Amino acid sequence: MRLVLDGFTKRFGDTTVIDALDLTVEDGEMIALLGPSGCGKSTTLFAIAGLHRVDGGRILFGERDVAQVSAQERNVGIVFQNYALYPHMTVAQNIAFPLRVRGASVADMDRKVREIAGLVQIGELLERKPAQLSGGQQQRVALARALVRKPDVLLLDEPLANLDAKLRMEMRSEIRRVQLETGITAILVTHDQVEAMSMCDRIALMKAGGIVQIAEPAEMYDNPADRYVAGFLGNPPIAFLDAVSDDILRLAGGAALGAAGTLQGLGPIALGVRPEHYGPGKGVPLDGTVIMLETHGREDLFEVELAGGGRLRAILPAGSGVRPGTTVDWGIDMTRVFAFSPEGRRL
Amino acid sequence: MRQDRIGFLFLTPALIAVVLFYLLPVVMTAVFAFTNMSTSTGIRGGDYMLTEGSLRDLREQGLNEATLSHLADAGYVVDAEGLAALAEAFGAPLAERVEAALGGQSFATGRDLERALRDLRAPEIRMTRDRKRAADLFQRSVLNIRHDTAAALAADLSAAGIPQSEQDPIVEVAYTGWSWTTRNFELLLSLPSTARYAINTLIYVALTLVIFNVGLGLFLAISTFYLPERTAATFRAIWFMPRILPPVLYVLMWKWLMWDNGFLASALAPFGVERINWMMHSEYHAWVAVILINGVVGASFGMIIFASAIKAIPQTMLLASEVDGATRWQQVRFIILPQMRWPILFVTAYQTLSLLASFEYILLSTGGGPGSATEVWAMAAFRTALNNYGGNLQYGMGATFALVLVIIGTALSLLYLRFFNFQALLAKPRIER
Repeated sequence: MRLVLDGFTKRFGDTTVIDALDLTVEDGEMIALLGPSGCGKSTTLFAIAGLHRVDGGRILFGERDVAQVSAQERNVGIVFQNYALYPHMTVAQNIAFPLRVRGASVADMDRKVREIAGLVQIGELLERKPAQLSGGQQQRVALARALVRKPDVLLLDEPLANLDAKLRMEMRSEIRRVQLETGITAILVTHDQVEAMSMCDRIALMKAGGIVQIAEPAEMYDNPADRYVAGFLGNPPIAFLDAVSDDILRLAGGAALGAAGTLQGLGPIALGVRPEHYGPGKGVPLDGTVIMLETHGREDLFEVELAGGGRLRAILPAGSGVRPGTTVDWGIDMTRVFAFSPEGRRL
Repeated sequence: MRQDRIGFLFLTPALIAVVLFYLLPVVMTAVFAFTNMSTSTGIRGGDYMLTEGSLRDLREQGLNEATLSHLADAGYVVDAEGLAALAEAFGAPLAERVEAALGGQSFATGRDLERALRDLRAPEIRMTRDRKRAADLFQRSVLNIRHDTAAALAADLSAAGIPQSEQDPIVEVAYTGWSWTTRNFELLLSLPSTARYAINTLIYVALTLVIFNVGLGLFLAISTFYLPERTAATFRAIWFMPRILPPVLYVLMWKWLMWDNGFLASALAPFGVERINWMMHSEYHAWVAVILINGVVGASFGMIIFASAIKAIPQTMLLASEVDGATRWQQVRFIILPQMRWPILFVTAYQTLSLLASFEYILLSTGGGPGSATEVWAMAAFRTALNNYGGNLQYGMGATFALVLVIIGTALSLLYLRFFNFQALLAKPRIER
């Protein structure tokens, strides 16, 4: 079901935390609300669930405005970071709970619970209590409980934050698989860019109660709207260099980078260079010294201090033999560099 | 090893306190329960004295009549001591005459001596009344004479001519101090009032516990949970007030409310309701008052425990249930109440024990009345041992009452501990739910 936030506003007391936010999630789409803590992503999710009162705007489930409808009367499913399973109920009773409070028949509940348990692959755990399950299994139960009554929207509040690295990888693809299989509209709240990029159709990157950019993951990575987006996405992160653009483009330290092109005469700007676009034989060579090396196994991450000031990161296949302290003359692939105004606007 | 010793060292004050204030009183209660200590026996040893009363007891015990009458009448001896007293009362000439005629003789009864005196025809004792007074001066009975030891009494008995074989029961009856006995328990089982106290205690504990300490406590905790924090805190503070109030003041306020010229009676009078003492009008009135007075105090304990237990339920669990479609009532019924099992058990266990032992609010309000309609076990123990109308405080009997309470309390505690599975209760909390 299509979900639309239209001018959604949320205040806590006198503080407006979200001001007139617009967001459209297409039917069957999975979208990530990505941003640092305190950016309003969980608040938005709770408002969609009906757990927070809405102070302005509309929330449309299909054609129906649910902004003033209680949580009980909206048809949503939610998965919390701590799973929020009911500890005194068995797995089956947990999953059946949304049906039970609506007075479903025992046979109906039983059938639906088995169906959904099969989908999330916990069919053999139905008689256990939550305390007897691993974190990943609890997460599957929470997912099943959220899905069992075929909600209009599935809401996921940092669902992977409590899992260890290996389980997180596994559950990432599991949740996506289940979402695709059920074709449900889903919203994932996370501060982990990898989760957002790997699981979702689109990402809405949030900052201070507003959406900075909505785009598909690759598009957002390759074409960030501003310096904040460029800095948020990418691991290892992008490096920024101060530069000056007059007739030609040069670094703040003085080294010339080449023709200014469309940037001509803009004065002081910032350049964003991703690690994969800096390295040996990639355009204009710049003198620098390797000051740090991180071994990642398949590849090595270098940090290079440029002779004229400024630091860049480079990522190279392992086995280059370059040690910290080595002087290098690696270059920047100027075609892939992002330019930003001093205020952070994309140029 | 050394750490163990340091541990004990730190525990010492607590251990001393436990021994002094818990173990010792229990042991003393158990000891007293097997004695017949009372005001009349005292709590130290006693001495030996035969009275008219002890003779009655001996007759009931079946001592033969000859010995009994011997004890009652025995011992009119014309000796130096008696003659001296006679000389003082009636003059030396009479004394000399009596000594000459009867000196050294014994008489079984006062009547025999009087007859002998009459035969002397002495003018000083011509009147019957005077003769009787003179005869009394020679009475050497063992009755009404205090002996420090059993041996001293036995010696006197021998002197009075009581055979050795019959002295033991007499010495026993003459003992005025306390002695070991199991009669308290027999008495406890045979008295009809015992059953009354037991039933009263059951009514008192069960109704106060179920309606107020658990029921109202739970209701208050849940209802304040859904109120804004500030309002909830105010409500809880109001319900907590009776607990802070001194019991005497608190009960006094109830009395002002319920007495026949109190608030309730005065407020209802204009509507034609007869002015009655709402606290003591009938035993039903008394019971309602007793349970209300105790319950309003007791509810706050459960309320605090339950409220904090509800707060310990993760917020997201309640949010999840709302999103799952549960109404408030369903949330309470399916999410909150099932997770209150341990707090409810704890409050039940704890409050049962404190209610069993407490009677101060009953004592202050109805005083156990009307009649003994609201007299509970603990109060019976108190009255028997420490405070009754008769003035003869039966420490031993009271201790027997108290001992039964201690046994029931200990048995219940053990049962609760088992029921609670204390091991599990003390287990480390799980961080992940």
